[in-house]
Amino acid sequence: MLPPPDPASDPTPSGADRMRAVAKYSGIAFQMLATIGLSAWAGIWLDGHFHTKTPWFTIGLMLLGVLVALYQVIRSLTKSA
Amino acid sequence: MKRLLSILFFFLTLPVFAGEPAQSGEAPKAFNAGEVILHHVADSHEWHWFSTDNGNFVSYFPVVAYQPGKGLSVFFSDKIAEGKSYKNFKLDDERLTTLDGSKVYDFSITKNVAALAMSSLVLVLVFASVARGYRRRVGRAPTGLQSFLEPFVVFIRDEVGKKSIGPKYERYMPYLLTVFFFIWFNNLLGLTPGAANLTGNIAVTMMLALLTLVITLFSGNKNYWGHIFAPPGVPWALYIIMVPVELVGIIVKPFSLMVRLFANITAGHIIILSFISLIFIFRSATAGLLSVPFGLFISVLELLVAILQAYIFTLLTAMYIGSAVEDHHETADGAHADDFGTVEQRQGGSNFAHLAQSDVAAH
Repeated sequence: MLPPPDPASDPTPSGADRMRAVAKYSGIAFQMLATIGLSAWAGIWLDGHFHTKTPWFTIGLMLLGVLVALYQVIRSLTKSA
Repeated sequence: MKRLLSILFFFLTLPVFAGEPAQSGEAPKAFNAGEVILHHVADSHEWHWFSTDNGNFVSYFPVVAYQPGKGLSVFFSDKIAEGKSYKNFKLDDERLTTLDGSKVYDFSITKNVAALAMSSLVLVLVFASVARGYRRRVGRAPTGLQSFLEPFVVFIRDEVGKKSIGPKYERYMPYLLTVFFFIWFNNLLGLTPGAANLTGNIAVTMMLALLTLVITLFSGNKNYWGHIFAPPGVPWALYIIMVPVELVGIIVKPFSLMVRLFANITAGHIIILSFISLIFIFRSATAGLLSVPFGLFISVLELLVAILQAYIFTLLTAMYIGSAVEDHHETADGAHADDFGTVEQRQGGSNFAHLAQSDVAAH
């Protein structure tokens, strides 16, 4: 017979829930790093492969990586509180 | 205390490479700290226990080399230890190569393979004993090893499995528990003197992350794939951007799992070894006054990191699986409830609803 609990207004989340939130959000941070790192690596590889004079692949993919990482953060924040 | 723990927890989930400056090795004559540390952290074809003035105490393992066209060669690694070469084989910086430069595939039993076999044996023995306990004492209080491990199993089930995956959690409990105890036990075993750095090996963490990826992909339901290939509430013209972004997300999640575990465990080992190396770099006993307490502090911290990293890996795995198996949520008017901006339900974090439905009813 509990009313549906609202996590945002729950005054006393248990220790496990707090741990869980910390793990989750630090996980998101790590995911950002991985996204940007992976796209930078892919860009460097592509530049090496095509012998580009100016590293456009690296530049473009890194910027794209930043955008994708931001998108993922926003997504995961709006998905769940 | 809890706040301190969570702050600590946050920093420990970042990859720490603070140990690296100590690698410069400015000793007058060649105590190369970087080399020693990397040698300790990396895999090798022999198990170097310790050295005294009377020599090195080393165990050698079978080398299994396959050369295309020439077949298999099996021999013990003492034949190629310390720069020796044997039958066209030699070790080049722990990489098995041939003298004439021909291709060779290395399937050797290395230090990590041996450590993996041993820790698997330990895990099987421990959990066989726990399982026997449950069979023998049905409905009665657990004792011994069983009562030590039961809280962890219950914690993973209730706090990780049920809350992250929801009603279908039971199918995934064997994997979650295996991964948790595998990482935890191997982290701890890696801290014992002379042991191998198994969970700090990126091949091992890659396999674990791949298993998570495969399980997530195979348990993905219509709702999960729908969100990837046809995100609801998004104009179709944007699919050309959204779909690749979502696909990148699938790869990046297990990739970050792999890197996180590898980086944390390896960084911990590097820091401890760096503190100990300070004694040899400064060649003075007074350096020990600083480096031993710090080394001890980090070692004790690593005991905490061992279980923390196991927990994080298991929790994030459960969250990824949870996002793949969750059911389609529809509001009363039949519209999608999970467009951008909806707060409740959805993966991870917020599954208090499950708590209210299942747990409270059960207890």
